[in-house]
Amino acid sequence: MATDLQLPVFTNNSENELAGRWGMVIDQDICTGCQACVAACAMENNIPFVGEADAGYGRTMHWIRIERFWQGTFPEVKMTPYQPVLCQQCHKAPCEPVCPVFASVHSVSEDINLQVYNRCVGTRYCANNCPYQVRVFNWRDYTDARQRPELVTLQNQLNPDVTVRRRGVMEKCTFCIQRIRHVEDTAQSEGRDVRDGEVVPACAQACPADAIVFGRVDDPTSKVSKAAITSRGSHMLEELGTLPRVTYLAGGSAQ
Amino acid sequence: MIKKFFDALNQPLGRIGVLITLLVVFSAAVWGIAQTQKPPEQPIQFPHNLHVGVGIQCLYCHSGALRGASPGLPTETKCWGCHQQMAITNTSPLLKPLVQAVENNQPINWIPVAQVPDFVRFVHRPHIAAGLNCEVCHGNVSQMTVYQNPQVLNMGWCLACHRAKTEDNIQNNPGRDPAITAALATKRTKLTDCSLCHY
Repeated sequence: MATDLQLPVFTNNSENELAGRWGMVIDQDICTGCQACVAACAMENNIPFVGEADAGYGRTMHWIRIERFWQGTFPEVKMTPYQPVLCQQCHKAPCEPVCPVFASVHSVSEDINLQVYNRCVGTRYCANNCPYQVRVFNWRDYTDARQRPELVTLQNQLNPDVTVRRRGVMEKCTFCIQRIRHVEDTAQSEGRDVRDGEVVPACAQACPADAIVFGRVDDPTSKVSKAAITSRGSHMLEELGTLPRVTYLAGGSAQ
Repeated sequence: MIKKFFDALNQPLGRIGVLITLLVVFSAAVWGIAQTQKPPEQPIQFPHNLHVGVGIQCLYCHSGALRGASPGLPTETKCWGCHQQMAITNTSPLLKPLVQAVENNQPINWIPVAQVPDFVRFVHRPHIAAGLNCEVCHGNVSQMTVYQNPQVLNMGWCLACHRAKTEDNIQNNPGRDPAITAALATKRTKLTDCSLCHY
């Protein structure tokens, strides 16, 4: 007799492509590459400083990074617009089906990709299968004061709403789910719906140029939906069919 | 050498030795597990039964539960605000740590007992708003002195309640209203989602 284990089922429901709830628009034309989002994200989400030695191995941990490329051949080079790259919260995420322990799961209610830290056993399949290279791995207990006494004062700035990750777990951008939950809870206690623009992730809050807009993409009147449907919009590595939830705007008057 | 060892084990005395070793290991394991099940030593043997017995509401001291994630603990001045007005407690030797805490303006280091791991985010407010009483999860505190968890606070226990409260059955949907059925299904999706507590 078959037992229903209530495991997540991976289905190819492409008719729900646009049914995503949360989405982000990043305007590359007004992004100045100042890295304020990187710093804000690290502070909000308890992302540790890995130290010089581990950074040398390429183990730096950031949930958002600013990518920049050169166009043309030297000396006639021109810089492409700065591109902040974070987890694209794909509707069909390549990281999800490869996880052997269902630590990388799709949230049915919020339609974002989750990383369940206590399930994760650190196989790193998800990071290897992520086309955006946005997943980072805890190679050590970076926040353990016994192992890193030089960082003990930084313990006081840890965000109590976010898990401090242990060694051996994968982590990534969560679209600041703790802020989404807090706003939903506040809205529920006040007996109303979540207003457009009420949920502000740390990166969008810190952005001095307001290049990052966050909101509900299933609501056509929201600020993020209106920004996403302009002709400048594109998705990163769209040809892979991952249906990312982050829209990049580029090719405006700046170019 | 190894042969000698196994020969010694075959002797009656050797077998008794093996038996004693196994017994020692077993009792050590039992003792160790029993140690983990003991409630921790608190700075004051706080009698919840007396406080609940005189009719103090849970939310009078743990007022954060109504508004946010953590119910919080009362400040030592809040404790002393009541206790200094009563002749018995004003001079009680049992409350020496409290008097010291008030005089030195130092918090009392209570050991948390009803705890969830760091990778779980538990918010009290929606549970109170959903009409749950404190004793549903924390047991009958009026029978306890120092607080003890009435059950293991694990995920299966959380999910069992979340599933039971959103099941489309006669209690949750007496009139078989299709609108309530749909609402329950949405609620169930949300209440069993990993991202509800793990982030």
